[in-house]
Amino acid sequence: MSVAARIAGPDLHETSVAPRSRSRMLALVIALAFAAVGGQLVRLAWQNEDASTIRVSMMSSPANTLARPDIVDRNGRLLATDVQMPSLYADPLLIQDADEAAERLVRLFPQIDVRELRQSLADKSRRFVWVRRGLSPAMAQRVHNLGIPGLLFVDEIRRTYPAGRLGGHILGRVDIDNRGTGGIERYIDEIGASEAAVGARLSARAPVRLSLDLGVMHALDEELAGAMVRYEAAGAAGLVMDVLTGEVVASVSRPGVDPAVYEDALDPSRIDRIAAGTYELGSIMKLVTVAMALEMGRSLDSMVDTAEPLKAGRFTIEDLHPLGRPMSVSEVFIHSSNVGAGQLALSAGAATQKAFLQKLGLWSALKTEVSSGPAPQKPQQIGRIEQITLSFGHGLATTPLQFAAASAALMNGGTRVTPTFMALDGEAPVVRGERVVSARTSALLREVMRRNVTDPAGTGRRADVPGFEVGGKTGTAEMAAKGGYRKKSILASFIGTFPSSEPRYVTLILLFEPKGQDVTGGEITAGRNAAPTTARIIERIAPLLGVPAKSL
Amino acid sequence: MRILNVVAVLLALSSAFLLYGLNYDTRMIERSLHVREREAERARADIAVLRAERAHLARPERIEPLARRLGLEPLSARHLLPGPGLAAGNITTSSTSVR
Repeated sequence: MSVAARIAGPDLHETSVAPRSRSRMLALVIALAFAAVGGQLVRLAWQNEDASTIRVSMMSSPANTLARPDIVDRNGRLLATDVQMPSLYADPLLIQDADEAAERLVRLFPQIDVRELRQSLADKSRRFVWVRRGLSPAMAQRVHNLGIPGLLFVDEIRRTYPAGRLGGHILGRVDIDNRGTGGIERYIDEIGASEAAVGARLSARAPVRLSLDLGVMHALDEELAGAMVRYEAAGAAGLVMDVLTGEVVASVSRPGVDPAVYEDALDPSRIDRIAAGTYELGSIMKLVTVAMALEMGRSLDSMVDTAEPLKAGRFTIEDLHPLGRPMSVSEVFIHSSNVGAGQLALSAGAATQKAFLQKLGLWSALKTEVSSGPAPQKPQQIGRIEQITLSFGHGLATTPLQFAAASAALMNGGTRVTPTFMALDGEAPVVRGERVVSARTSALLREVMRRNVTDPAGTGRRADVPGFEVGGKTGTAEMAAKGGYRKKSILASFIGTFPSSEPRYVTLILLFEPKGQDVTGGEITAGRNAAPTTARIIERIAPLLGVPAKSL
Repeated sequence: MRILNVVAVLLALSSAFLLYGLNYDTRMIERSLHVREREAERARADIAVLRAERAHLARPERIEPLARRLGLEPLSARHLLPGPGLAAGNITTSSTSVR
């Protein structure tokens, strides 16, 4: 009312102004008022829209920190996840006594260097100094209880690995800013599955599902640990691979690495012996040699001249237990005859042998999600002696993962297998790789693998598990050392497959430098250690993998 | 004319008050939204920690000794029967077949 009176007021006294222009002015003022109201309405509507999309985040991490997706195993069990943890920083300007503060902090965190901390806390020109990132809530409380002014907390995303050491080699690790620096963690960043942590929400990203099965991993890990004790081995490694899809269901290398422990990854004795180390795998390579012979039209019964030791230059290749007579191809495999394998390679020719190794992917590095893979060590040129040594697994050092992939191709009917650590969609039909050997060759290899286990004289007889039709081949390789080979230190291996009538998985078990025991009759050959270990492993994992047992 | 003016001014005034009230309410709602989002964020953080802890407690390394102490053992071929065995009705449990 008063406003109207004020507007109308002067007009009552000043009659000189025409009533017409007066009412016009009034209309203008009112129009302006409504325009202001309208403007306010629009502003409010805008503001409201902003408010509804505001992301409140307690994660005030530095800009370069990443929020990562969970990593789960093929059955959805958690292997890696992001959690929020308080990180401790200091504002030196607010710290009254840097010496005392540093001393009391170091009492809680003995890993911190006192002098460095004291220096940074005393530097009044800075307002922000990290003290320790990623504290447990209990630790944060203890720091809080110190009651030192100028010590502040901020919540940060930290990576945790609930499964611990299992799968550590494959998972890789992250740095202090939660960025992947190895293994699957780096792969996740490469494919762009992680995002900047600022404004990001926890567990808002689709989990990355690996091909690994935690249960199988554990069974493998435990049996390998048992084998290391039983055979006094210096190390052990093993893997289980799906022969059709190439999915690595389990891969263990003891002693493993804990992704949460930074020092582990730097320790050369903790190297991933499955995918990162290359080894001369020994007689298990005869699987490849026999495959090549079968591809060239030989049958399991065709004879090979093994009566005499093989001579190549100044070397003489002999068998451990020479039969002194010609052998069939299957006998070469079952008795693991070096002479026989050498003869098979020589009759194939160097070019064919190299081409066959190339076709199986054993001649070049194998790239997986976890790493680009080390290049195999191979001979410069393939002469007579190289042909012979290659035929029984010396002179060519590959990763066990590579060899397992080649074996899977030989077992699955003859199509190429690309090893992967990512779970493939269970619903989708399996896409077969290109053909590397004929279906006939694959069938014959399965037969001879099985025979090597069922034959009373077979080197793999201790690998049998009733009901699961295990087939396999032993390998006992002398480990290369400076200036030659060490007779007493060997690499015992066993490539296995089950069920051999229609293989679903291949297993590769490696025991490093096993010693002779009473249980092995003092022997260190793979038939006495790697083969029975394989039996124990398959007996445990076959039910986990849903492989039905055949009636006994 | 005058009455119209007065009404218009009154209208402008009342809508101004209305707007002020609306604005105030919106701010309140925004504030409570912030609180809720903060709560949700905290709950998410708790869930993440609990999931990690659960997975850590359920890791096979820890479960296996516990299961063995309870008298359980890994499944093996002798616990499994092929299909026809079930039909024949000769089902045995592991404990009966062992003892």
